[in-house]
Amino acid sequence: MHFASRILLLVLLALPPVTLAQERIASLNLCLDQVLLNWVAPEKIASVTWLSANEHYRSAPLPEDIHLNRGRAEELLRLEPDLILVGQFGAQRAARRLRDLGLNVVSIPDAYSLEQLLEQLGAMEDALGQLQPLQQQKRRLEKRLALPVPQEKASALILSANNITYGSGLLEHQLLEHAGFANLAAERGVQQLGRVSLEEVIALQPDLLVFYGGEKDFAIAHLAARHPVLKNYIDSGRTYTLPAELGFCPALVVADVLQQLTDKRKTIVNAE
Amino acid sequence: MLTQNKSALVLFALALPLALIAALASGPVSIDLGAALGDGWRSENSDAVILWQLRLPRALLAILVGAALGMGGAAMQGMLRNPLAEPALLGVSSGAALAAILMLYYGFSLPGFWGLAWQSGWLLPALAIVGAFCAVACVWLLAGRGASASRLVLAGVAINAFLSALMALALNYAPSMFAMQEIVFWLLGSLANRGWDQLLLALPFVLIGAVLLFCARNYLRALSLGEASAASLGFRGRRYPLLVLAGIASAVGAAVAVAGTIGFVGLVVPHLVRPLVRQDPGLLLWASALAGALLLLLADIVVINFVGAQELRIGAVTAFIGAPFFFWLIVSARRGQLL
Repeated sequence: MHFASRILLLVLLALPPVTLAQERIASLNLCLDQVLLNWVAPEKIASVTWLSANEHYRSAPLPEDIHLNRGRAEELLRLEPDLILVGQFGAQRAARRLRDLGLNVVSIPDAYSLEQLLEQLGAMEDALGQLQPLQQQKRRLEKRLALPVPQEKASALILSANNITYGSGLLEHQLLEHAGFANLAAERGVQQLGRVSLEEVIALQPDLLVFYGGEKDFAIAHLAARHPVLKNYIDSGRTYTLPAELGFCPALVVADVLQQLTDKRKTIVNAE
Repeated sequence: MLTQNKSALVLFALALPLALIAALASGPVSIDLGAALGDGWRSENSDAVILWQLRLPRALLAILVGAALGMGGAAMQGMLRNPLAEPALLGVSSGAALAAILMLYYGFSLPGFWGLAWQSGWLLPALAIVGAFCAVACVWLLAGRGASASRLVLAGVAINAFLSALMALALNYAPSMFAMQEIVFWLLGSLANRGWDQLLLALPFVLIGAVLLFCARNYLRALSLGEASAASLGFRGRRYPLLVLAGIASAVGAAVAVAGTIGFVGLVVPHLVRPLVRQDPGLLLWASALAGALLLLLADIVVINFVGAQELRIGAVTAFIGAPFFFWLIVSARRGQLL
């Protein structure tokens, strides 16, 4: 190695790690809002969408003087952010206008599978710089995905709002499979979303019954999950509730979910 | 004619258990009905669980709700002597619906005991029943002392319009899109995922309603001669109309509370069976209850066997089944002047 390049390497190592390059970041996408609110210092967030003020979506406290935008270009123009994050869909017109006006607009792809999720985390890393929680999350996920899938499978079935279940081709299915569960909906030929009645849940007898978020409030959509016929499942702890964030921003929770599902499978297999 | 009518009613009564068996045999999973029945309701066997915990309460709830709606419709048409009257006319359904809407929005923020009650899921139906009673009380107060049938109808229309406006206002301020969806589903009515708990919640109120209407049966008979004749026969004062209104609020309010607003049954069923009881408003109550129960149970069998992306809403099915009967009735009435 040349002397000059050694010096350069030493200088680079001696420098403090590059943290966030951008000082004021705005978001035009609900998931990216949540990423900023959870992983970026509050003083660096210029604006998030109005949806993030909704209790249903908020997973981190909202800074007091933050601007809640409704996806309009003029709102963000006034705030003069250094970086504007936009999703793959929604607010595209505003993003284009802002880009034309010379603002730094970065599009982050949506994620509907584990592969897309890794891409998404990579794109966020490129845009936001070396952000410790983000990198940590990415590493955790990569590490978990590198682990071999358990051979001895337990069965699982997702029972979401309005009796909806998740079949093959969806992130939720991939998570179940990676954690060592056979998704009964996919085995019955459900692709993407399908419906499952309580009768089918009882007849299929999955080892684990998986609910989907929003369980704490009563809702007619969740009547099935509250039906006394599922009491046995709930009493014996053979249920798991996917966090609501998995539905609109999986990047935040996917590593935790995978870990918890793997643990759940271990408990079930050991009990048998 | 009389024997024909009687045999038609007997046919209804016989069809009900047959429909019940059909309902118990219908479902997305095929079960061994005989074995499941033999296993008893405590059995852990999945067939038995499906039969006793899922299909039976749902079918019985269809019978109960259908009976309450049919009976409520008959009482309403009898009291108001208006062929277009139905339980919803006096605000019973919209009162229950408004209470449910408010609950679906703000229920989660209730503190302490009420919050717990909300979580357990019985507060919504309980408050919907209270909402139904409040709406009927408002109609009663608005119509005033010794109100005639037409004034009651007017008061009902006014209160209904006001409650609808309040519902629209509440929908405008919907804090989340899911709340909106919940309400739409609730307003369309459904028996899906209902269990013994909902059945037991509605049963006492429907029974109380039936008893109150039973007590008012002679008043309804006298009313068929006109308000003045009913008064001359001793049915004067506020006692009897109150009895009917309380009976309707109790029975229909409870039905709406557990199954949502299911239209058509209350309006059409009394017309369908009126010729069979020779226009007797007293007997019509029970004949309508029987026919309402049968219609809703049949509608639910259609719902269960309907294959689609979403479960078909039972309110739509009752209209599909009931409307052709109604067409036939109107056409035959044109010939025989039955209506």
